Order: sequence, then structure tokens, then C-alpha cells
Amino acid sequence: MSATRIDHAGTLLLEQPFARIPYEQFRKTFRTSQKHIERELGAVQAATVDLVKRAREGTCDAAETARAIDGMIARAEGLKRKLSELHTNTTVPVQATIRRRLEDLAMVESLSSTDDPRFESWAETRLDRWLVDWALRNGREETARKLAQEKGIEKLVDIELFAEVRSVEEALNRRSCAEALAWCSDNKMGLRKMKSTLEFELRLQEYIELNRAGRTVEAMAYANKHFASWLETHNHEIMQSMGLLACKPTTSIASYKRLYDSQRWTTLTTNFRLAAYMLHALPTVPLLSLALYAGLASLKLPTCYERDAKAKNVDCPVCDERGLGELAREVPWSHHVNSVIVCRITGKIMDDENYPMCFPVQGYVYSREAMEAMAAENNGRVTCRETKETCLFSELRKVFIS
Amino acid sequence: MAQTSKEADPLLKELDKLERLSSFTSSAIRSTTKTKSPSISDSLDSLIASLKDAKQAAETGQAPEEYVGGLSSAVDDRKREVEERQKEIHSSLARFGRALDKKFPNPLPSYSPLFTSPKAAAALEHTIVSHFIRTGSFSVAETFLKESEMEAPDELRRQFVDMHRILTALRSQDIGPALEWAIAHRDALRSRMSPLEFHIHRSQYLRLLLSQPTPHLVLRYARRNFPALYAAHASEIQRLLGAVAFIPRLASLYPDFASPNIHTDVEAMFARDYCAMVGMSREVPLRVVGDIGGGGALARIEKGNKVMRDRKSEWSQTDELPIEIPLPPRNRYHSVFACPVSKEQSTEDNPPVMLQCGHVLAKDSWRKLEKGAGRVKCPYCPVESTSPPHRVFF
Ligand SMILES: [Zn+2]
Repeated sequence: MSATRIDHAGTLLLEQPFARIPYEQFRKTFRTSQKHIERELGAVQAATVDLVKRAREGTCDAAETARAIDGMIARAEGLKRKLSELHTNTTVPVQATIRRRLEDLAMVESLSSTDDPRFESWAETRLDRWLVDWALRNGREETARKLAQEKGIEKLVDIELFAEVRSVEEALNRRSCAEALAWCSDNKMGLRKMKSTLEFELRLQEYIELNRAGRTVEAMAYANKHFASWLETHNHEIMQSMGLLACKPTTSIASYKRLYDSQRWTTLTTNFRLAAYMLHALPTVPLLSLALYAGLASLKLPTCYERDAKAKNVDCPVCDERGLGELAREVPWSHHVNSVIVCRITGKIMDDENYPMCFPVQGYVYSREAMEAMAAENNGRVTCRETKETCLFSELRKVFIS
Repeated sequence: MAQTSKEADPLLKELDKLERLSSFTSSAIRSTTKTKSPSISDSLDSLIASLKDAKQAAETGQAPEEYVGGLSSAVDDRKREVEERQKEIHSSLARFGRALDKKFPNPLPSYSPLFTSPKAAAALEHTIVSHFIRTGSFSVAETFLKESEMEAPDELRRQFVDMHRILTALRSQDIGPALEWAIAHRDALRSRMSPLEFHIHRSQYLRLLLSQPTPHLVLRYARRNFPALYAAHASEIQRLLGAVAFIPRLASLYPDFASPNIHTDVEAMFARDYCAMVGMSREVPLRVVGDIGGGGALARIEKGNKVMRDRKSEWSQTDELPIEIPLPPRNRYHSVFACPVSKEQSTEDNPPVMLQCGHVLAKDSWRKLEKGAGRVKCPYCPVESTSPPHRVFF
């Protein structure tokens, strides 16, 4: 494989959230439109059924009928307006985002070499996207916005998504499930597909809170209304939670104490975030961290951490011990089966043509090309860059790496 | 494996369909392809019209039996149409989702939190702010520093503000600041064997050549600037002077001179030299690592880990990668010596040593071959070494 060939499958691995996030937003918008339609057209239909019934019974008076129809017109017009707004304000921009991102991926898939200037600028933007993702997950929203705006990549990053996730998390921290439940409802299709039980956990929490407040009757009604659809999958939990109706928060019974434990809220917040990330194929750690993990592990060598400063290479990211080298301490070493000898002067990899040559006393090795060039300029003498050992070119020893 | 043609991308095809289906009004439908149901806007308009007719009937005193039945079936029909259309969108969305699943068969790996130890987290923040500064995003760096309550790395910023001032000038075809810098660092550039100064003049000369109606100014520029550079760049200067005679055919005779790269390459060369002078890496480090990680390494590591898990190997995941990640030659920053006998990578304790014949082994391997006998027959050639092996440094 050529050194500059783009590994398309490997590149795409990190792009799944990039493509999936606007798709999930589209699904969510669709579900909103569906809700409007069900509600408004359902009401119009019910009103008509009522009219038909009264006409059959002969209990219609003209003014009342006209008023009823007026109400239906208002609903139909309201629905049209809402759907039209939803379409203009959300569906169209989301579709544009999906298109823009798919075309972005199609572009990079059409390239073959990393030397292509189009790949170069794509990779630059990719890093900017990762930085935005990192900033949003690490409480640097201003930085994220500023970077996105300065680079003109607003359509390629997901500032709103993270803002939404954060506002639901904040609600959960205030011990309110309503926002998270609304979010579950908006993302019903996706959550069902990934078999998420988040909604059940939220319902259970609301039920626990009713019990905590001593509102037993309401708790019973709540269980009746919201647990029915989960009986099949969560029978055990539901049956166990019924015991709460008879237990105060001060209970010493372990299994009920656990349900009343306020730690459940923290778990709930974590589970919500995980579900939100998973729904959009977002990894649990920032994309930047994943890429750095793999990149650093590919580069990390014992040489980078050697005490002898001569071993360091200013171009090597891992050798920077205050920066990426510190991060690299958390990743595995790279693995090598074959020797690769790199010339400290030219940076070129040595081979049979440009073979390694060694200074006779100190033993430092350089490439033939580098030594020949030095000898040509210095009347046949060569000097070791690291030790200042000096000798004639002819005194260098040829080194064989099998 | 990867989709290379845009037309064949099933996702874009399905998106076309989705856009058609979800277009609210029928006039927005660009394609000739028919959808099964009318647009939702049309259905609702028709519903509203039926309602208005009925209202008028009611107001003009018609008997309800005469219009209520018609209204009822109109409402049912329109509602069915709208639902029909929604169902079409729904199935198109589902198809799009399946196409996504197919395009992205593997989820991203879930790692336990990375780089969250205080030291690593601080190093990452330092790396990020240095990145913003180095790439010239100074105001983003400002915002980041404020949001992170970090102190500004002033020295770094000063250096890079200067670098970006010179780069900005170069980009707007002003070679002045770059030239001034190159002259101030002439000796250091020479020892780096960097042709920066010549390349700056070459760029300017070619711009004059292409913009001047007479060669007079061009030649004057050459006379003023090329003699000092002649020793090191004789043949290139000859070509440049030769080009004056063939301006109309420049693009065919000297395609490299006509290419815009000859100017943009000066920017890259300047940035590289500048970074080297202030002791910074040639390439932007975050880009180097990110491009390797996101360019296939993560996928390979995951595959390797999976193989190891499937084999229930004892391989410790945090110690060393189970597989070798191929790197482009320019990202080979250090020599790696793997002993041909033991296959082990050399270390400070087990360094590479050279036998009398020039073949190199790891010291431990040599010791095993020597067995205290004071002599070693090279495993790769007939020569027998009688003296102690020679430590080498790659
Ligand atoms: Zn290194």
C-alpha cells in the first residue's frame, strides 16, 4: 500500500456521527410534524363526526354549526401554518446539512492520495470539527462557537445538539424529568431501535419521587398509566417498585433504600447522556481523544522518552513531553516487527542504496547520502552531528541491518 | 469497497427522494418523479376549501343533512391523504437509515475516559491553545484562554503573531517582510540548506514576468537580486532568465513557472523554516497525530484488539499495540531497531551492537550467541567476530 493512499474505511470510522446527527434531527422533526397532524386532523375529524351525528339527530342549529366549522377551519389553517413553518425553519435547513455533509464525505471518498490539496483542506476542517466537539463536551462553548464561525463550518458541527443535551442534563440535576421525557418522546424512533430503557428509568424516577413526597394515590395512578407498556420487559423492577407504596424514604429495607437513594439521579444523568450520544453514534469520549489515542499509539517509541536528549526529534509529536508526550503516557507503545533506520540529518529512511554508515569510535549512524554530501563540502572529512567525532569518509563503517 | 462516485451513493439518492417527499408544497417538487400522494399543503388547502364551502352552506341556511355528509367524507379523504404522505416519508427515512447502517457498519469504540488525569488534561489544554496560536487563530485562542482560566503563553504568541504577519503579507503578494526575515536569518538558513531566500525572489520575479508588458523591469529585478544567489542556484537562474524570451509560451515551456504552487510553496517553506528557527516541529503536531489516528490507525487498532480478544490472548492492551500501524515515511521520526534474531525492539538496556562484519544484533542476542566463548560467528555471514561488539546509535 502506498504511503499516501487514503484509507477510506479507516477514515469513515470516525465520520459516523457526522452523518448520523442531522439524520436524527430530521427524524425528530418528522415526529413533531406527525404529532401536529395527529392532534389537529384528529380533532377536525372528531368534530365532523359530531356534526354528522347531530345532523342525523336533527339537533343542529345553523349558527352553532357555522361556529363549529369555524373552529375546524382555524385548526386546519393553524396546522398548515405550523407545518409550513416547521418545514421552512427546520426540515429544509436539516436537509441542507445532510446534503452538505454527505457531499463532503463523497468528496473525500473520491480522492485517493493524502497529498491531494483537497484532502489537505478536508483534514484541516476535520481537525477543526474535532476541536469543536471537544470544546462542547468540555464546557468551552464560546470557543466552539468562535472556532466554528471563524472557519465557516457551522453546518459541519453540532453546537445545538450539545446545547440541548446540556439543558436536559441541567434539568435532571434540578431533579426534573420532564425535559428528558420530552426528549425521549421526540426521539422515540431512534431510542426504540437501540432498545433504550431510558424512558422507563425516567418514569420510575418520577414514580419514586411521588412516593418520596408521600403522594401515594398519585403514585398509584402514575404507575397504572405509565408502567403498563414496560410490564413485559421490566416486570421484576415494576413489581419490586410497587413495594414503595408501603415504604417511607426512611426505610431500612435495602432494596427500597436503593430506590430512594439520591444517587439514582446522577446515574440517570449519565444514562441520559449516554443514550443521547449513542442515538447519534457519538462516542462516549471526544472524537479528538479517540484520534489522538490511535495516532499517539502509532508513533510512541521508547526513544521519545529516553533520558539522552540526543534521541529526541523536534518534529516528533510524542517527544514533546509537555504537550502530546504527556498524553501519550496513557496509550500503548507502538509495535514494530521490522527495523526502520531514519537518518538524523536528512530524515530519510535508509535502504540498500542509501545505506547506514557508522562513525568508528562513538558509533553514531547516518545515511550514506548525508555523509557523502558532508564529505564533498569538507575535503572528504565528516563530523558526527551529535558527538562532533570527526574522521575521513573512508573511515566510516558500512552497517548491515538484516 | 468505498463508494467513489457521487451518483452511486445510495445515501444521496435516498436524500433526493426524501427532499421530494417532504417538500411541503407541490410547486417545490423539482423532479418529474411522481409521489404517490399529493403534497400536504395541497391536501390541507383542499380540506380548508371544503370546510369553507360547508360554512357558507351553514350560513346560507342549507339543511345540515345536505352538506355534512359530503364534508365528512372530504375530511376523511384529506386526512387519509396526509397520512399516506407521512407514511411515504417515514419509509423513505427508514431506507435512509438502513443506507446509513450499511455505510457505517462499525460503531466507534467506547473507551474509558481518556486524558482526564490532571497532568494529561493540562497537557491537552496546552496543546490545544498552542495549536490555535500556531495556526493563526489568535482570537479563538483568546476565547479559549479566557474560558479555561489559563494564562496566555506570551512567548509562543509573540512568535506566531510575527509568523502570521509575514504569512499574511506573502499571501497578499507582499514579499517584503518574508525577505527581510530571510536576510536576517541568512546564516541559519544556509546551514539548514534552505533555499528560502531564492524561492522568495523567484516568486516575485515570476509575478513580474507575467504582469509586465516589457521585460525591462523584470531584468532589472534579476540584475539586482540574482547575482548573490547565483553560486547556489545557477541552473535555475538560467532557466528563469531564459523564460523572459518565451513569455507567451511560458505555460507550455515552463509549466512549473506558470503554476500557482510556485508561490504558495514559498508560504509553506517559510512557515517550516520559521518553526525550525524557533525550535518548533515542521508540521502542526495536532494535525500529524490526528491525521494518523483518524486515517486508519484507530480502525486497525480496533481490529487488532478484536483479534486478540477472540484469541483470548494474554496480550496486555495498555502495554503495546498488538499490531504494527504503517506510517508514511515523513512520520518516521526515529529509527526503530528490531533484532533480526530475537525480533525484539532494542532498548537502552538491550541496545543494538555491531559485529566486526557490520551486521547489527541486539546485545542480549549477542550474549546468547557468545556464551562466554569470547568469539561469535555472525548468523548472517561467515565472518567470526573475535572482539567485543560495538555499540551503535541510530
Ligand atoms: Zn519521538
